[in-house]
Amino acid sequence: MKGLLEYCRGNSFLHSCNPLIKIAAAFIMCVGCFMCSSLIYVLCVIGITLIAGYSAGVGGKVLKIFTSLLKLGFILLLLQIFFISEGHVLISLPFGIRVTAEGLHFCVLLALRIAGATLPLALMLMVTKMSDISGALVKKLHVPYKYAFAITTALRFIPVFADEMNGIIEAQTARGVEFDTKNPIKKISLMLPLCVPLLVSSVKRIEDSSTSALLRGFSLRTYKSGVKTYPFHLRDAALLSVAAVTSACGLLIGILI
Amino acid sequence: MISIKDFSFTYKGSDVPALSGINLEIEDGDFIGIIGGSGAGKTTLAHSICAVIPHYRPGDFYGSVTVNGMDTIDTPPEDIAKITACVMQDIDSQMTTSVVEDEILFGLENFSVPAEETEQRITEALEEAGIPELRYRNLNTLSGGQKQKAAIAAIIALKPKILILDEPTGELDPQSSVRIFKMLKRLNEEHGVTVIVIEQKIMLLCEYAKKLAVLNRGRLLEYGSVREVLKDAARLKETGVSCPRVTDISEELRRRGLYTGPAAVNVDEAAEIVKGVCEADD
Ligand SMILES: Nc1ncnc2c1ncn2[C@@H]1O[C@H](COP(=O)(O)OP(=O)(O)OP(=O)(O)O)[C@@H](O)[C@H]1O
Ligand SMILES: [Mg+2]
Repeated sequence: MKGLLEYCRGNSFLHSCNPLIKIAAAFIMCVGCFMCSSLIYVLCVIGITLIAGYSAGVGGKVLKIFTSLLKLGFILLLLQIFFISEGHVLISLPFGIRVTAEGLHFCVLLALRIAGATLPLALMLMVTKMSDISGALVKKLHVPYKYAFAITTALRFIPVFADEMNGIIEAQTARGVEFDTKNPIKKISLMLPLCVPLLVSSVKRIEDSSTSALLRGFSLRTYKSGVKTYPFHLRDAALLSVAAVTSACGLLIGILI
Repeated sequence: MISIKDFSFTYKGSDVPALSGINLEIEDGDFIGIIGGSGAGKTTLAHSICAVIPHYRPGDFYGSVTVNGMDTIDTPPEDIAKITACVMQDIDSQMTTSVVEDEILFGLENFSVPAEETEQRITEALEEAGIPELRYRNLNTLSGGQKQKAAIAAIIALKPKILILDEPTGELDPQSSVRIFKMLKRLNEEHGVTVIVIEQKIMLLCEYAKKLAVLNRGRLLEYGSVREVLKDAARLKETGVSCPRVTDISEELRRRGLYTGPAAVNVDEAAEIVKGVCEADD
């Protein structure tokens, strides 16, 4: 996942939209995915997000996230599929376990929904700078800077911690610990103890980072401070409409079927 | 002016003081190098000047630290932050944003630098730090040395009166280190900025700093002009600080009774001394 959610510079349509609109559009798309239980619809949302991603020059990254989400979805699918026993039986296994058509549909839909709901948010993070998210929250919505900063710092630290975790795992692997096991339970039991040092180092990190922010006048900041303004343009209306129409279609299809 | 009187500090939960009995006066426009072994208390001293101690690090604080007449205990740390700026030792935790440009903008916006001025300050700071090409780069994708330069750029853009740098060249190659010190010298000479730099590369300090402070196990061992401090080479060595090789030359000549003048602090001086000794021999 290294660097996947990071901001990628560019001057595409999506890059130049208002950060708040981008957040809103991403959320609307997410909600749409959960409104409608049609597989085709969810696939459409994923398709639209991928196209949007390619138009902003980050298609490859969006695709990568999509495939890792699918892998996660596949694990969920395996966990779920044996517990839904109603409906038309497709495969019958010993001990009365069976795979049904309904079960399969439900699980595939769940896996795709997770992907469909996450991708727009991931794309939004790739085309929007953290400082613009917090800046727009403060300037437009008058969210206190402290909270806006906390949100973006939390987002910013996700890749940092992922890196750190990788670093710890590499160090442990170098000392002969076998992380490369296929057994997920064994893998988790190996990784869990590592969370403690990670937590300790991250608390210190965050503390130091906040000290540094305070030393650079963080507490003097008001919503008037930023030099950037975040005006709304026609393109923002366009983006919001696309998201709203997509989501409305989902709602409509959801009601009809 | 920074004035530190009978200052001791013990971190909460620790039973040995990190600093004890420190007395130090730093004049406006000074260029001070702080040197000492690891754990000597250098970072603690830097944090005490920029008011991180006692405001953000709990512990027992004795004595007084005043910066431009403001006592760090009673003054809100923001007021001290308006005149001092600190490049921290742990660069990663200094970063507050994810892009180089934003990192510089962060402090400027906080201190309400007018919008007309920010662009110029950003480009100047990037130039000074020697990284104009990194302006739009993601901080996570930078090398250690590049990050260090970005952190320095973010601090000098604030144009502080007092500039504190905690091992700013730790991850830099020799050429970049010299570049940073040249920049510090320029800020010091042309803009009258008080520079306090913690540095392990003694050769750089000797060349650029006006005064040296030597810390050892929380105590201020020596404080004076570079030349005075270097005279006591033997004592310095005990604290784990090695003298520059050029000083070793003049001190070795002194030990053999061939030379009695001041200690050499750069190659030219050492060459002069050696020449003098040779000529006297003839
Ligand atoms: N947050 C803290 N809590 C407790 N003790 C601390 C803390 N920070 C530093 N110390 C202790 O205070 C002493 C001085 O530490 P300081 O970081 O000032 O050393 P330093 O001279 O900067 O060393 P280095 O060259 O390794 O950076 C050390 O013994 C250290 O263990
Ligand atoms: Mg230190």
